[in-house]
Amino acid sequence: MKKKLNLGKKPPLSAIALFAAYALFVALVPRFFSGGYIIMVINLALIYSIVAYGISIMLGMGGHLLFSGIAFMGGGAFFIANLCSKRFDINMPTWAALLLLIPVFAVIAFILGLVLLKLSGTYFTFSTIALVQVCFTIYNNYKPLFGGPDGIAGVPTLKLFGYSFSSYTAWFYFLAALVLAVALLVERLRRTQLGRSLASVRDNETAAKTLGVNVYMTKVIAFTIAGVLAALAGGLYCLHSKYVSADMFTYNNATQYIIMAMLGGVNSSAGIFVGSLLVAVLPEILRSFERYFQLFWGVSIVLLMVFMPTGLAGLFQRLTRRLTHRFAGKKERGGKAA
Amino acid sequence: MNPILRLDGICKNFGGVVAAKDITFSVYPGRVHGLIGPNGAGKSTLMNIISGIYTPDKGQIYFDEKEITKVPDYKRARMGIGRTFQTPRFLQRSNIRDNLLLGADLGNQIGYLEGYFGKKSANFDGDLAELMEIAHFSFDWEDDISALPFGQRKLLEIVRSLLAKPRVMLVDEPAAGLNSKEIEYAMDLLNMAAEKRGIGIILIEHSMDMIMDICKEIVVINFGCVIANGTPEEIASDELVIEAYLGRQEDD
Repeated sequence: MKKKLNLGKKPPLSAIALFAAYALFVALVPRFFSGGYIIMVINLALIYSIVAYGISIMLGMGGHLLFSGIAFMGGGAFFIANLCSKRFDINMPTWAALLLLIPVFAVIAFILGLVLLKLSGTYFTFSTIALVQVCFTIYNNYKPLFGGPDGIAGVPTLKLFGYSFSSYTAWFYFLAALVLAVALLVERLRRTQLGRSLASVRDNETAAKTLGVNVYMTKVIAFTIAGVLAALAGGLYCLHSKYVSADMFTYNNATQYIIMAMLGGVNSSAGIFVGSLLVAVLPEILRSFERYFQLFWGVSIVLLMVFMPTGLAGLFQRLTRRLTHRFAGKKERGGKAA
Repeated sequence: MNPILRLDGICKNFGGVVAAKDITFSVYPGRVHGLIGPNGAGKSTLMNIISGIYTPDKGQIYFDEKEITKVPDYKRARMGIGRTFQTPRFLQRSNIRDNLLLGADLGNQIGYLEGYFGKKSANFDGDLAELMEIAHFSFDWEDDISALPFGQRKLLEIVRSLLAKPRVMLVDEPAAGLNSKEIEYAMDLLNMAAEKRGIGIILIEHSMDMIMDICKEIVVINFGCVIANGTPEEIASDELVIEAYLGRQEDD
């Protein structure tokens, strides 16, 4: 009864270690890979991780598996491509288009969420697959807006406060800062009401309702946030690659993002980052095995869900816990009866 | 004194089974109302109707003189109808802090945006310390909820419900599975809730000692009907109640 009743914050030591590791990552990557192909791959990994963070909100906190991230990503990418590449005599500044993307896709995702989340559990998951297929078909066939199979080329790079991101290294710094911001926002979400409400939706809907949680709306809000993050990532992808085409947004590619979110640990912001990096960089190193990747991703999803639902972060946590137990003796509990 | 919760002619059938038939009674602030009856009498169904999980086929529910028969479950919780379950319902994959904060979130009555950007989120207002003193145990914040033994989890569910600052609490078999010390603490919690905070409590319980001890009023139901309603003394000597519990004596 003595100590533990103030709102104990987590020991900040691990947070400091994480920030230090991230700073080291940001400092070292350009030093070793500057100007090369690898830094472009790492940039893409950073962009993809934004989608993975969105997925983690629905999957990790809310317990709803969804594939629709890639459909929103495509939407965001084509949105930017149409607004910034002078296709319709529109030549919006890239930063303005990115800012406009957020409210536009918030509305789209919200409306879609209202519809899709009438379904729950597996049925919801299937409906998101359908959404991916429908969107891909539209992206691939409606030439006026999406360029058809040829895609849209000639997209300018991002220009911010007069600075044009012409090198991959410049992009790297920008994306590293942005991903950090997204990770912090998601982490904050986990620790406030919305995160807790989502956890209650995931673990016990009846309890959630009796605790005043509007289950349906909470899910729709989470779906909206996930959609906006994915669309933003799509927009960034388009500006970074200066090109976009539909074949990027297939269902086959969608599974990759689920792995990104799950491999590192779907409820760990650091884990999602590591997972995204691994999933994006690994295929580049193992180019010669490319044809087996679908098989590999499929098997890994199953294995992850069954044996490692908390991902690498959970594994790490269990290991450190076991080690501290061994070396420091059993951790003292708050005491039984007073 | 006006009742805080009033049921008026509540009926509910599941197929051919009558779960509630013309149930009428009132709950007053600061009073513990016992709800007893044999297994399958319809007690839990009634709880579910009050908290909004089931909608009644007929009849009205009034909360603080406002009709809430059509109000959805989560809004009833926000209005101040708290609830605990026979087997405690927690978030198995969250730690104890998050589980309790869910209760406090409801008590604080702030929206998601306000909670996200404001500072008031994650605040127990010293309430928790007081409640845990009555519950007589403590815990490590970061532990999973499953680290607690069953009895403590049940006590903690009452604590969580109280953190939400309810005006009516539905408490489903708090004593089941608890040892005698824990039963005592559960009763202390409920007594404190009623006397100090003026919460109207509906208590389902099979332990007659507990019911007789803390209830000011007892409602007995059987086969979905109210068969008696009165003080513990009246109930203990009521013919129909004795019959329902002990069976009718055949005499010719």
